[in-house]
Amino acid sequence: MSAARPPEGAQQRNAQHEATPMPPALMKLEGVSVVFGGKVRALDDVSLSIAQGEIVGLVGESGSGKTTLCRVLVALTPATTGTVTLGGEPVAAQLAKSPLAFRRRVQMLLQDAVASLSPRMTIGRTLREPISIHDLPRAEAEVRLQAILQRLGLPADVQAKFPHQISGGQARRVGVARALVMQPQIIIADEPTAGLDVSVQGELLNLLMELQQEFALTYLLVSHNLNVIRRVTGRTAVMYLGQIVEEAPTRELFAKPAHPYSAALLSTNPAIDPARRARRIVLQGEIPSVVNPPSGCRFHTRCPVAQARCKTDAPALAEVGPSRTVRCHFPFSLELTR
Amino acid sequence: MADPVALASPLVRIRDLKLEAATQRGTAHILRGVSLDIGRGRILGVVGESGSGKSSLASCLLRLLPANMTRLEGSMVFDGTDLVQLDEASMTLWRGRRIAMIFQDPMTALNPLFTVSTHLVDVLKRRYPGISRDDARSRARAALTSVGIADPDLRLAAYPHQLSGGMRQRVMIAMALLVEPDLLVADEPTTALDATVEAQIVDLFESLRQKFAGSIVFISHHLGLVAQLCDDLCVMYGGTVVETGPVAEVLARPQHPYTRALLACEIDSDAQGGRLVSIPGEVQDPVAPHVACVFAPRCQHADTRCRAGVPPLQDSGAQRRVACLRHGEIG
Repeated sequence: MSAARPPEGAQQRNAQHEATPMPPALMKLEGVSVVFGGKVRALDDVSLSIAQGEIVGLVGESGSGKTTLCRVLVALTPATTGTVTLGGEPVAAQLAKSPLAFRRRVQMLLQDAVASLSPRMTIGRTLREPISIHDLPRAEAEVRLQAILQRLGLPADVQAKFPHQISGGQARRVGVARALVMQPQIIIADEPTAGLDVSVQGELLNLLMELQQEFALTYLLVSHNLNVIRRVTGRTAVMYLGQIVEEAPTRELFAKPAHPYSAALLSTNPAIDPARRARRIVLQGEIPSVVNPPSGCRFHTRCPVAQARCKTDAPALAEVGPSRTVRCHFPFSLELTR
Repeated sequence: MADPVALASPLVRIRDLKLEAATQRGTAHILRGVSLDIGRGRILGVVGESGSGKSSLASCLLRLLPANMTRLEGSMVFDGTDLVQLDEASMTLWRGRRIAMIFQDPMTALNPLFTVSTHLVDVLKRRYPGISRDDARSRARAALTSVGIADPDLRLAAYPHQLSGGMRQRVMIAMALLVEPDLLVADEPTTALDATVEAQIVDLFESLRQKFAGSIVFISHHLGLVAQLCDDLCVMYGGTVVETGPVAEVLARPQHPYTRALLACEIDSDAQGGRLVSIPGEVQDPVAPHVACVFAPRCQHADTRCRAGVPPLQDSGAQRRVACLRHGEIG
């Protein structure tokens, strides 16, 4: 038996994707590879399209290339091969023309919110630093900043404080405010809830979802927490060893994963209710090194359903349904069971 | 008072355990009167958020306490011996013999200067003085095999940095099991691991249930994991135990408002869309005096009685205890 599907139309965002053709991509990666030192292939032929107004989830274990992908999107790491476009125009060209204009459009929320704030600057100074770097009209930016701070529920006295004097939740909201003041189109959020207690993570996720509506934002959300991905995102990409091995509407991915790695990953997420708990698929070994990836399919060394062909032939990304792609010779061969 | 395990007396009986530490802002109440039974042969899951005192409770069980600790009061009766009253020399004899610990980060818990073999053999020499070198080595090899390490001879010769994270945690577990302790304390043993490796370690813990006769205290912030692995559950908040009982019972019918709120905050993976639940307010300042229910400031059911005194942890149904004055009234 496959995992139960959630009620029909439970998530509007998903339903829209299935019913209407995909809106044009806001940000797109095509055949992007990143090679460090000539041999470490951190990203290998990654293509990902993020449409305006979408929340795309990115999951994978350490070393799978999630952070490198984020860094490529915000142009902190150049793609060795392949192209990255924003609004249809190559990012490389935009950076050559006006790097600041590009950086205003793409902002990042860093994983360690407290460490991302300079301990030597007051919160007020930290929040105004981008305004002066980007030479934004002062008065207008100040009005916007005050409105954002109020919207995020940050008390007025927070601006006079230093990072060590505020709570972790406040530090996260300061990070969000610093990104929003640039009026970005897309926010890359690298593990925004990591290290947050479960009693407060809901508050931050609610805020991010509300801001998405209010400011017409687009998000790429990286998370280890599969429950967060399932709840918040409309589409999810699963990474393994520098490649996207599966991309699917989130609801479909969780109901019926196509790639054996996705199935194993989803099975490791224990539900509290025993009736909804999937049988754990335990993979042997650990993620191999990207310096010396396995031949053929990169997952074949750990795949419980690998066949002879998987050792020699590298599978290409293939369509397995409307807006679903998977990099596997034998999709749907490992099922989630109760 | 009923025991969590019917009939059998508990292995450890903790009563009114208080731990205080000196900080710049005053005395911090790390544990505010913890009472808890650890059943024989049971796996007890201890859950709570940051600052709830769950790791401090583990430190108390081993009496490995921070230097700024100023007061440890109450009792921890382990098979008739009160660990709180033991002198340091006697306590040293308990650690690594009757109580063993698995830490969250296996890299910092293993000594980078010694091989895996040295770690394991040292533990055995301490546990069984006079054990022969050959005997120790063959036991070490067997221990590695039993925690699922292939090529034990190769791994015995390895240094910690040559092992992956999952392998290091397996070595830690092998070390802990070699001493055949009566009590194994595991403090977030899978938190530092990747999801598929975590699944392997959880699998290992499940298979240990058959081989290991002692009790396990499994500390975690992951309710789903505890639900799957443990027999009993202890929910901590602000340095107190708010609710205990058999895992399935507590999770199916939580009685304390904090347990209920915590379960509501878990993102129910079958329901999509809509707002997520969070608990308003912040965790109580550890420096604040303990004069009322610690959860009252964030509790939607709190009334004047809750703010007037500390609610006792009282029996509430078979093998269950809850520290809430109003648990019978709220439904």
